[in-house]
Amino acid sequence: MADKTAILSVGIDVGTSTTQVVFSKLQMDNAGGYFSVPRVAIVDKEVVYKSEVYMTPLKTDVLIDTDALRDIVAAEFRKAGYRPEDTDSGAVIITGESARKENSDAVLKSLSDFAGDFVVSAAGPDMESLIAGKGSGAWQYSMDHHCRVANLDIGGGTTNVVLFEDGETLARGCLDIGGRLICMNPQGIITKVSPAAAVMAQAAGVSVSVGDRCDELKLTAVTRQMAAALNAYLGVGTKDIDAILRQIKTPGSSDFPVPEKVQAVFFSGGVADLIYHESADTWAYGDIGVLLGRAIRESRLFTDFQKMEPGETIRATVVGAGTYTTTISGSTITYSDDIFPLKNIPVIKLDEELQEACFAGETEPVIRRIQWVLGQNDEEHFILAMPGKRNPGYTEMKRAAASIRQIMDRVQPPGEPILLVIESDIAKAMGQMIRQQPDLKRQVVAIDSIHVEDGEYVDMGKPMMNGMVIPVVVKTLIFG
Amino acid sequence: MNIDEALIERIIREVVSQVVAEKAAGGGQNRSASGNNQNSMQSVNLGQIEQLVKNVASGDRQTSFGGQTSNAGGYHPEEPVHDVDIEEDITSREVKKRPLIDQPQDPEALERMMRLTTARIGVGCAGPRLKTQTLLTLRADHARARDAVMLDVHQDVIDNLKLFSVQTRCQDKNEFLTRPDLGRRLSEDGVQKVKDQCIEGPDVQLIVADGLSSTAINANIENVLPVLMDGLSAAGLRVGTPFFVRYGRVAVEDEIAELVGAKVVCIFVGERPGLGTAESMSAYLAYNAKIGMPEARRTVVSNIHKDGITAVEAGAYLTDLIQKILDKKASGVELQN
Repeated sequence: MADKTAILSVGIDVGTSTTQVVFSKLQMDNAGGYFSVPRVAIVDKEVVYKSEVYMTPLKTDVLIDTDALRDIVAAEFRKAGYRPEDTDSGAVIITGESARKENSDAVLKSLSDFAGDFVVSAAGPDMESLIAGKGSGAWQYSMDHHCRVANLDIGGGTTNVVLFEDGETLARGCLDIGGRLICMNPQGIITKVSPAAAVMAQAAGVSVSVGDRCDELKLTAVTRQMAAALNAYLGVGTKDIDAILRQIKTPGSSDFPVPEKVQAVFFSGGVADLIYHESADTWAYGDIGVLLGRAIRESRLFTDFQKMEPGETIRATVVGAGTYTTTISGSTITYSDDIFPLKNIPVIKLDEELQEACFAGETEPVIRRIQWVLGQNDEEHFILAMPGKRNPGYTEMKRAAASIRQIMDRVQPPGEPILLVIESDIAKAMGQMIRQQPDLKRQVVAIDSIHVEDGEYVDMGKPMMNGMVIPVVVKTLIFG
Repeated sequence: MNIDEALIERIIREVVSQVVAEKAAGGGQNRSASGNNQNSMQSVNLGQIEQLVKNVASGDRQTSFGGQTSNAGGYHPEEPVHDVDIEEDITSREVKKRPLIDQPQDPEALERMMRLTTARIGVGCAGPRLKTQTLLTLRADHARARDAVMLDVHQDVIDNLKLFSVQTRCQDKNEFLTRPDLGRRLSEDGVQKVKDQCIEGPDVQLIVADGLSSTAINANIENVLPVLMDGLSAAGLRVGTPFFVRYGRVAVEDEIAELVGAKVVCIFVGERPGLGTAESMSAYLAYNAKIGMPEARRTVVSNIHKDGITAVEAGAYLTDLIQKILDKKASGVELQN
């Protein structure tokens, strides 16, 4: 374990319509060179196994069939030749409409044994957008070509949009637009019209209800309206449908400001294949996916931008989840060996002002802030995060270490560990200095080079690469 | 990098001789920061170059450069060449990251690329030559590099850390630069001081030496040494009495390790400055060091400066590294295997 240089990561995506599993190998190496401090980085990411695409098993409209889902995942582990204990890391994500099912939390728990002893994560719509954009290759493209790229992951229930510029995430958002918002049975009778689809139908001036015979003209009008909404979302075409965009904005997703100067657009998700490739059978999937793909292909979204065919379409999210959710800490850190793994630890982040107070030895404002946050929920542990300083001096570091100790003594019962995440590369020094505090009866974990925000959750795995680094997953949302 | 060092050196020599002449005539003005034991010629060098840079930037360029330049390369004598803020430090990171190319096709991409490297890209040109600002920056960086080599470590820094000082067999800076062998051995007086003042048989002996950049020691040592000493003491190790070696090279640590009987010796040395940074410091460590031992037995941690590994983090890293060396009873290549 100590000498491991690769992480086997599993990604499990339970989407609105499909469920998939992938295994990836993340190769680590010390890029620091012989004469300097080690700098471990993930140098290669390889997807080593992709499952087939399963329909997500449902018991009812609002319940996922947990047992059937477990069977699918267990079978895929066997086919791939791995046991759950072989995986070092992984992410189980429940996306799109599946995340709104009544038992999504239970589903997540039941799948957690498959992700090794390390990571289970759930995703909110913003996180899904990011994961899909990384899995599709849009993120890499933006870095390789130093340009601004949008990725639209159009699935069964939602369209996750992310905007990258040179590897930076500029904006994330999500709309309730997808291929399965309206479904029909083989007899051509409409069996489902989601609320968002009803909004789009109304906007298009047509009436579509459950029990109607499906009418290609009417449904085309609806999907064209959806395409127009996506166009407007990226700043193309009509601008007067803001009200509609607000109505179909996925709950929990961020605002997506109308972007400028987008150079390339990637489509991923199940509908992407139907955009890039015309399907002969309009009703092949018993939903409006084919029509939606056609409407998007015929819209300016497809013609106004440099259009890119991604490396992954329908698998973008699961590849993203398996391959891009795990990062590693900086290589000079402090920790206690036996504390890992740590799961679902909420982050309380100090802004520059509070950090300054901490470095100046003023603990009261920080204590007030932490107590306020802890008062809002009943979390026991938390990670204290801060931006850190670029080149701090010895005395201010020493003061900060003493402050952090005092703060933790005030807000946490004795024996609870001190968990620190710092952005700038100073965690080893800070961790050592906290440990040197007299009569400190707490374990200390201080890692750096990880960016977290207030309210996010963090998982930390067991140390790797001779104990130099710790694998880390940062999550935006967990259920329950 | 494609820099004509000889040319820059010639220009600097001219500037310095001009400045010295001015000073002799009573017009000189020593603007350099007050250091101790500074070679006066070198102080004039930095201060006067700063002054000259400001003169050129603030308007002298019309007379200095106007007459010699044609309109090639988009130069228009009636317009300012570019906006040089005479108050800002042209060697600072912020100024260096500002593109000088006229009308770049993709300004944002250019800035991104410039953020990724300390190489002088995005500087444009005036006809076939460097722009004035680029040339001035090169000269200023070069002056800083020379100062780093020629000036002494501030006495305040040595005093704040409560270090005593010894000297190698070099008599002065010049001898230090020309006789590397003498920089590897302590003077007789130095040997005696070490015997008198250092504890014997420590687990770790820490030493600070000026090496080829006093600037590097000034910039980093006060934040590295205390972190390391705290860390080693907390680890229960017997830490020797640290001291400062003037005109010291890396291998002087071997003699010192033998003198005090240290298991591990660790010397902090200022690295030969380049045009990128003059603040880079390294630590060279050896287990059971002996005079004349192979260099392969040294472990080095380089690039300790604000843009490399920061001083406090280096101190923390060295704390663990020294424990590892003691644990494995090996350093250098033997430690890696």
